[in-house]
Amino acid sequence: MKVSLTVNGEEVSASCEPRRTLADFLRHDLGYTGVHVGCEHGACGSCTVSVDGATARSCCMLAVQAEGCTVTTIEGLASSGELDPLQESFREHHGLQCGFCTPGMLATAHELLRDNPDPTDSEIRAAISGNLCRCTGYQFIVDAIKGAIRPPHDGQQRDGVVEPGAAASSRRK
Amino acid sequence: MDVGGLIGARVSRVEDVRLLTGRARFVDDVREPGMLEAAILRSPVPHARIVSVDVSKAAALPGVSAVVTGAEVKAAVRGPQPVTWQVIPDMFHPRTYALAVDKVTYPGQGIAAVAAKNRAVAEDALELIDVRYEELPAVSTLEQALAEDAPRLFDEWPSNVLGRTAVRTGDAAAAFAEADVVLSAEFRFPRQMGTPLETRGVVATWDPFTDRLDVWLTTQAPNIAQAAFAEVLGLPVGRIRVRTPDLGGGFGNKFDFYGDEVVACVLSRRTGKPVKLIEDRAESFVATVHSREQKVDIEVAARADGTITGMRGTVYGVLGGALGTAGLSPCWVTAASVTGPYDIAALDMNLVGVATNRTPYGSFRGYGLPKANFVHEHMVELLAKRLGMPAHDIRRRNFIKQFPHQSPVFVFDSGRYEECLDLCLAAVRDAGWERIRQDARARGAAVGIGYSFQNEVTGLGPSRIQTFAGSSHSGFDEEVVRIDSTGHVTVYTGLSAMGQGIHTALAQVAAHTLGVPLDHVTVLSGDTDSSPYSGYGTGASRGAPLGGAAVRTAATRLKAKVLRIAGHILEAAPEDLVITDGVIAVRGVPGRTVTMADIGDAAYRRLGGRLPEDETPTLEEREVYDPVNVATAFGCTAVLAEVDRETGVVTLLGYLIAHDCGTVINPMIVDGQLHGGAAQAIGGALSEELVYDADGRMRTRTFADYLLPSAAEVPPVAISHMATPADHVPGGFKGMGESGVIGGGAAIVNAIVDALPEYDLEITALPITPPRLLALMRKGTGR
Repeated sequence: MKVSLTVNGEEVSASCEPRRTLADFLRHDLGYTGVHVGCEHGACGSCTVSVDGATARSCCMLAVQAEGCTVTTIEGLASSGELDPLQESFREHHGLQCGFCTPGMLATAHELLRDNPDPTDSEIRAAISGNLCRCTGYQFIVDAIKGAIRPPHDGQQRDGVVEPGAAASSRRK
Repeated sequence: MDVGGLIGARVSRVEDVRLLTGRARFVDDVREPGMLEAAILRSPVPHARIVSVDVSKAAALPGVSAVVTGAEVKAAVRGPQPVTWQVIPDMFHPRTYALAVDKVTYPGQGIAAVAAKNRAVAEDALELIDVRYEELPAVSTLEQALAEDAPRLFDEWPSNVLGRTAVRTGDAAAAFAEADVVLSAEFRFPRQMGTPLETRGVVATWDPFTDRLDVWLTTQAPNIAQAAFAEVLGLPVGRIRVRTPDLGGGFGNKFDFYGDEVVACVLSRRTGKPVKLIEDRAESFVATVHSREQKVDIEVAARADGTITGMRGTVYGVLGGALGTAGLSPCWVTAASVTGPYDIAALDMNLVGVATNRTPYGSFRGYGLPKANFVHEHMVELLAKRLGMPAHDIRRRNFIKQFPHQSPVFVFDSGRYEECLDLCLAAVRDAGWERIRQDARARGAAVGIGYSFQNEVTGLGPSRIQTFAGSSHSGFDEEVVRIDSTGHVTVYTGLSAMGQGIHTALAQVAAHTLGVPLDHVTVLSGDTDSSPYSGYGTGASRGAPLGGAAVRTAATRLKAKVLRIAGHILEAAPEDLVITDGVIAVRGVPGRTVTMADIGDAAYRRLGGRLPEDETPTLEEREVYDPVNVATAFGCTAVLAEVDRETGVVTLLGYLIAHDCGTVINPMIVDGQLHGGAAQAIGGALSEELVYDADGRMRTRTFADYLLPSAAEVPPVAISHMATPADHVPGGFKGMGESGVIGGGAAIVNAIVDALPEYDLEITALPITPPRLLALMRKGTGR
């Protein structure tokens, strides 16, 4: 079947079997290998992407269900060679080790900061509790998400990309 | 010891940007031209004779390129799967091939494999394979395996006990005869595993015309894997290229060499095409090695003043239905390390390796140390209770105080245990835990504080000793440091990058030693065709001490050459030169400088008049570092825990670690390693368990069964550092990748016991899940 959708602002389409998951479709048919598959049943959260503005476990969605949708993967977060504030904060706070859970963590954190621009530590922990990380013990991920709550670097809004810094600062100042 | 500069600097990791932007390349991202995808049919039954395997329907399925059975794989290879650690020379090591041949000895053992145009078709084909099993009685537990009339796993060996040995020092019998107090306990540790979020995988390309094998492999030990391929497949090492992509965690599970990768190679040779084989999560729970499962019986002899004079007992390693590459060695480490940080004159520990119809036993962060730590820290608390003394007084009285110290097996190079305990207690005081506990108790809540003290052998290890200890692999590490013609630096290492930040750490050591900016250093790893040789790979907490030491020594020699060339150009004595930020200056003479780029140019391109006549061109140094001893790190863990008396749920409120790993290269990375290890200790203490049912079949299939701690269960963790360098290691580095996981179990359990004084709990089995804690509380004195 042919599936057409928008990924990171680009209109793309490819053929796949009806049983193809969105995760495998993004990874293997479209080349977005930044989407990671850790458990294939929605438990670990590594494959989390944004679909029409809401996080989704791409291993639990079929590619055909994403027909016409707007999807953002980790490849769509940084623009023109610059890390976005959340990526930058993960780097600064050592919020990743092996990086396998990171795409899902970033997707979830973006959604959190969009919906709750100034979360408490326990709200952050609750929000990412569906994303397993086996490396970090989460402390530095929490610190990284907190660290992204700060004035924006002139945040430009791009298609399907949430700019948490911009949203956060407007609430805090 | 290095102070200032980049060694010890909290710099962001060089690995991060690729990982944060989706530009990393993990094994499942590797795509070779014409590549097939494979899947393995695994036995659902624990113990059976294989009567027949009919693959005809599977082979006929459109899209299927090849199907192989165990017998075919055995015929295609030269030998069985290697056991690279054989700590007991006369132990029975069953010959096991990559797939089961006549007999199944554990659920999940591979029976047959399919290569097809994609994984989905390969899995479809697996369903068409008809296997007839003649089931045998399952020997699933230690008790079943040791029973008088137990069915035997191996026709060629008369018992399920595969081997026995002992670790002895001093006169244990005398210590017990003269003891004022003798205490005993029995411990049960469950099956657990590392569960890196990226499962294992391989992409094998065996060129049938040249017999060259090119393998992408999720391995922590590329050179061990290369040697194992050579041994099993009968190829010379030089024809085997092992490339390691980015690894989505390892935790020891990717240290071991698996039959699956051999199967991929055989399928590639059979089809003439690259074959990818990626383990899925469900099969990972049976196909990746398990760890931790042991029964430990222990007795402690002590004097009335709290001096521990002897320990004795038995460690039963509950092995699987085949031996993994690690063999019995993790259990041997438990027996060898059961005295921990204490100076105990007499030890008599038996070690028994017992086969069961379970997944092979293998490497997992901490190796045997978490069990040893749980045992000695439990016994310290028990002795304190018996003698009516504070547990820390028992610790202090028995701490090793003189270094180097000959422990039952290892020589501990250095340590300041009392200071480390004090550092931890100060952190607890600063965090106000005592007050929190008092306030909680005043309102009727069950809140407790628990401690454990650990020491740990890191930086394995002296190569010749490893040979005598039964390792078929050495312990040295080789690193290369090169300055190129633009003055930038490349470090080549045989260690694997698996998330632990080894590229950053080695870059810091090189940049610090050479005096260049960090971003002028690139670290390359992951290709046996071009990487130097690592005798043991990335395990045993050896990346920083071995790799760091080798890079430091190589860079030191390279710096001397740079200074000789610079001295020639600047007409100054090398000892009058200083390198800062890649600029070489004459001390005290402003303006007389050359840059590292000038030196690079002089050594590679425009040599005439600039490179001294007696210098060879190029700027490269290679160091093979074989340590004279292991390096001993140590630490103290404190846990603040609350127990819900109604539900048995344990909530961790705080977690503090005081730690010493010698000279720290990057404190941020060290903290991250300790945090992550702590989280694994928390899962291991409270929730993680691989469960077999009464019929010996594996019940754990998903992350809904195997409960990793989430951000909601792991409390904030804080670290206090101290640094006692390893004098025998250039740079003074000690390892610490495994540290965080070692002491957590004992500290958590001690906190639970402290939270419920009215129950007088004795917790000797993990994980302590809510139902188990409630059951212990019901047995306790409170109700």
